[in-house]
Amino acid sequence: MTLANKRKTITAAVMVFAVLLLIVELYPIFITLLNGFRRDIVILSGQKFALSQLTTDSYMLVFKNRQMMKAMGNSIVVGLLSTLLSVGVGAMAAYGISRFKFRGRNALAYSFLVFRMLPQMSLVVALYMMFRGIGLRDTIFGITLAHSSFNVPYVIWMLIPFFTAVDKSYEEAAMVDGCSRFMLFRLVFLPLVAPGLVVAAVFAFINSWNEFLYALILTGTKARTAPVAISSLIGGDTLTWGQMCAASTVMLTPVFVFTLAMQRFLIRGVAAGGVKG
Amino acid sequence: MKGAGGQGSPVPFLLPALLIIFAVLIFPIIFSFVVSLFDWPLSAGGGERKFIGGGNYVALVQDQEFWNSLKLQLGFIFVAIPLELLLGLSAALLLNREFVGGKVVRALILLPVFFLPVVSGMTWRFMLQPRYGALNNFLLAMGAPEITWLGHPSFAYAAIIVQDIWRMWPFVFMLLYAGLAGIPTDVLEAAEIDGATFWKRLFRVILPLMYPTILTALLLRIIDALRIFSEVYVMTEGGPGMATTLFSLYTHRQAFGYMKVGMSSAMAMFLLFISIVFAVTLVRKNMSLEKLEDQGGNR
Repeated sequence: MTLANKRKTITAAVMVFAVLLLIVELYPIFITLLNGFRRDIVILSGQKFALSQLTTDSYMLVFKNRQMMKAMGNSIVVGLLSTLLSVGVGAMAAYGISRFKFRGRNALAYSFLVFRMLPQMSLVVALYMMFRGIGLRDTIFGITLAHSSFNVPYVIWMLIPFFTAVDKSYEEAAMVDGCSRFMLFRLVFLPLVAPGLVVAAVFAFINSWNEFLYALILTGTKARTAPVAISSLIGGDTLTWGQMCAASTVMLTPVFVFTLAMQRFLIRGVAAGGVKG
Repeated sequence: MKGAGGQGSPVPFLLPALLIIFAVLIFPIIFSFVVSLFDWPLSAGGGERKFIGGGNYVALVQDQEFWNSLKLQLGFIFVAIPLELLLGLSAALLLNREFVGGKVVRALILLPVFFLPVVSGMTWRFMLQPRYGALNNFLLAMGAPEITWLGHPSFAYAAIIVQDIWRMWPFVFMLLYAGLAGIPTDVLEAAEIDGATFWKRLFRVILPLMYPTILTALLLRIIDALRIFSEVYVMTEGGPGMATTLFSLYTHRQAFGYMKVGMSSAMAMFLLFISIVFAVTLVRKNMSLEKLEDQGGNR
């Protein structure tokens, strides 16, 4: 066998392997998508799949489910608010860390990184009691604030490289023109790091969108977000798998669209401890 | 340290972030520590709080369920993560070549990483149901008997591990593939021309060069696995019995099942300490500020 032939054989084998991998990895996702288009009763009765079973009934039930719709609305609001808050505050802090020299600068940057990686379980009980004490439990503001505990450090970590990349000459020119540090930040830096802001915002939103534990403990009927609402579709006597799959598909769609659109930034986005619920 | 070094004070820029971090991160940790020194029932107002010093920590050490949850947690980490690394590395080595549809495969294979953890847990629970679950349908078609997977302690434990491997090995793949792509091709080709066998190249050239990336992936996965909660919670609720009550699930149960906030906080402190050790190791080794700043240049 010549070398070229050998290479071809290997490539063919790799392609077969890749297809097998894809089938295994995408199968559960396929199951979710498919069963959203089947009715609960059809699934529970264990009928073999047939094309005639396909219907949007489960979606209709989900869309008519007031609590579910409210939870999805809450998820969007909490996601947007916590993104806004953490990108605003985080951009300022990232600027402060990357464009100033001060004592403890390294230590501060390190602490933000470490903060991002702390387990939510170690904070949630204390947050629960604090929020109950000051009336923040089961409020949109409360859960937004809780989500900021991981999103603020996350955004800072994402943005530092963007701020560092800005050339010094911009700063010097603006300083000569008599810009204050704050004007410099707003008028010079923010436009220059805009792509970074978009990436950080998208991932911060997804972090909040996926979050489960804080939502489970810190919200009740009023501020409950969609992941908790979806989990309540299954359990005890309610086994509405069709609706669960339909609602899950609705939740997954924006995440998948963003991820496929942001391939280039995935590694940094995820390595920062991104997609954890 | 390019860029840094302007005059003026950074405080106004850092203050808002620091305030938020203090309110929802530092203060809860301090509060948690204080609570962990009390016999503190959850009930609102009515319960009697009693300072017991290290009492909760002593009680934990004597609590069999605590050791059980720790054992399950460690088992989870020791089984799932090596397999994830192995799968991720193998796939990175195999898929690191041009072939038709390669880009699409490498993109699609990452989708499970972005599958909402809750949805992943629920979907696996669905697939493992008796009668109508996908896995049992498959087994029945093969003539095998039906199994109530999540009703059986060892199968349920295996199932939460498989769920994690399924969802997270592509994450390892993603990191390692990027690391592999970062090795200059002439280094690899030089080794190939020297006639080194694949295994020799792997152990002498590729793995040493990828060591920092592998370490990062390992630490990230450990930190992540230490706090696993939602997937398992919706998949098995820690059951059957205590068979899948991992560390976080037991912490949750102490607070909201047994209403013992003090005990739960003591567990939280323990988890926090371990996580900080791993996180600091990771940050010091592989995520220094200089490295972050270097990344700024090449994007």
